[in-house]
Amino acid sequence: MQTRGPVIVMELPENLNHAEGKAFLAEVQPLLQGHRPRVVLDGSQVQHMDSAGIEMLLQCMEEAMKRDGDLKLGALSPAAAAILELMRVDRLFEVYESADEAVHSFHAVASIDEPQTLPWYSVPCGLADLKSAS
Amino acid sequence: MGLGAIVVIGAESEGFCPAALQGAGSLVPQPVACTDILGRSMVERAIERFARADVEAVTVLVAAENRMFGIPVAPGLDHVDVTVRRVPDIFSAINQTLNEYSDRGIVHAFVASANLYAETDLLDLFYFHREARQAATQCLNGESPLDLWVVHCEKALQTGLDRLLTGPERSGASYMTRDYVISLNRPADLRRLVFDALSGRCALRPSGREIKPGVWVDEKADIHRGARIVAPAYIGRGSKVQQDTLITRCSNIERDCCIDCGTVIEDSSILPNTTVGIWLDVCHAVASGNKLLSLGHEVVVEISDPSVLRSTAETKNGWELKPALYAEQKIDAGIQQKQPSAPEAWQLGANLIQG
Repeated sequence: MQTRGPVIVMELPENLNHAEGKAFLAEVQPLLQGHRPRVVLDGSQVQHMDSAGIEMLLQCMEEAMKRDGDLKLGALSPAAAAILELMRVDRLFEVYESADEAVHSFHAVASIDEPQTLPWYSVPCGLADLKSAS
Repeated sequence: MGLGAIVVIGAESEGFCPAALQGAGSLVPQPVACTDILGRSMVERAIERFARADVEAVTVLVAAENRMFGIPVAPGLDHVDVTVRRVPDIFSAINQTLNEYSDRGIVHAFVASANLYAETDLLDLFYFHREARQAATQCLNGESPLDLWVVHCEKALQTGLDRLLTGPERSGASYMTRDYVISLNRPADLRRLVFDALSGRCALRPSGREIKPGVWVDEKADIHRGARIVAPAYIGRGSKVQQDTLITRCSNIERDCCIDCGTVIEDSSILPNTTVGIWLDVCHAVASGNKLLSLGHEVVVEISDPSVLRSTAETKNGWELKPALYAEQKIDAGIQQKQPSAPEAWQLGANLIQG
């Protein structure tokens, strides 16, 4: 397990079945008990995943959501990505190419204080500005 | 040397600056350019864009076939004279507008389709046109001509406008742009624009606030604590997202919509005033009122069961009416000014997605 700032990154086991899933859940659950837990699960090592593994992922997500947090997936192996897609569970998660990207996405709000109502062309530059510049 | 702008909303899904999307003419009752996309309509964005380029006057010409349309203008554009006209013939109206501009001392004017979103530097385009000394300059994206021109008002009137703008042997200059450009011609274009905007591929920003990375929520949106919003996504003004719903994969819920319990909205756009019923799976589609456009099959389906899909707008003679935005605008009735909204308390309560 790695901790990067307020975001926790955990690596999913190679075999995400009932037994492994249960053990993983026991490991991750205390981390989901805090206020607004932000967790990234690195799926690069996952080779096998069954319904119990998927249920474990959903349980983690639910726990995180209950406490105003979120759980994201990063670096999914092709096998894990295929299974999640097959079960149509992938749409429930934000999935990123790498764990770093997933971590970064937690901090990527442009500006939380300023309302984003101005369009891109609202930069005050027009004919008048150019005239005065010349 | 003054500058003017003419924004055109044509008649049908084909022809000069069409109002509707090809193959989806019946999806929305008003021109697609007047429909909110990520909180604001294309025509509203176009007016602001020209206003920021220091044009003196913007004239919006709407073909008379469009029975219902609403063109709100954001506050703060007092320096621009904005006029909306519903006209029987677009080319005559452009001619007339250019004449009026000429009389007012406006030498050059932009002519653009309201369906076009282009991040082209308008001033650079104008200077290019002025240097080229042609009657008209058309903007090109690669080999594709765009519905964006700059014309010399007097010269264009002498040359004949329809020949300049639509003739096979365009006599004007061409301006190549490499900036982000999209024209809403087909239903898939609408989804592409939403996707590009939400995923940061273009500079268009949704209205409202980014409450957590990639999740934009507008004023008075009400999102249930048990709903899941997977970024990027947009929830429009006054919309309600109920318990156990899932909004995912660059989906946008426009203003005054309701997504009922357990429904999944995936890679889809829900246009204003639409209620989607419970436990539905809306995927790769555009919904408006009781109509659903499947992007895969490119077909519009009308749903007669109101518990599945329905319009939440008040209706009059079959047309959508929303007093705040869609007052029945008559020819030359002017435009509605959006009231600057006072800061409102967010109605998100203790929502889990609130950042």
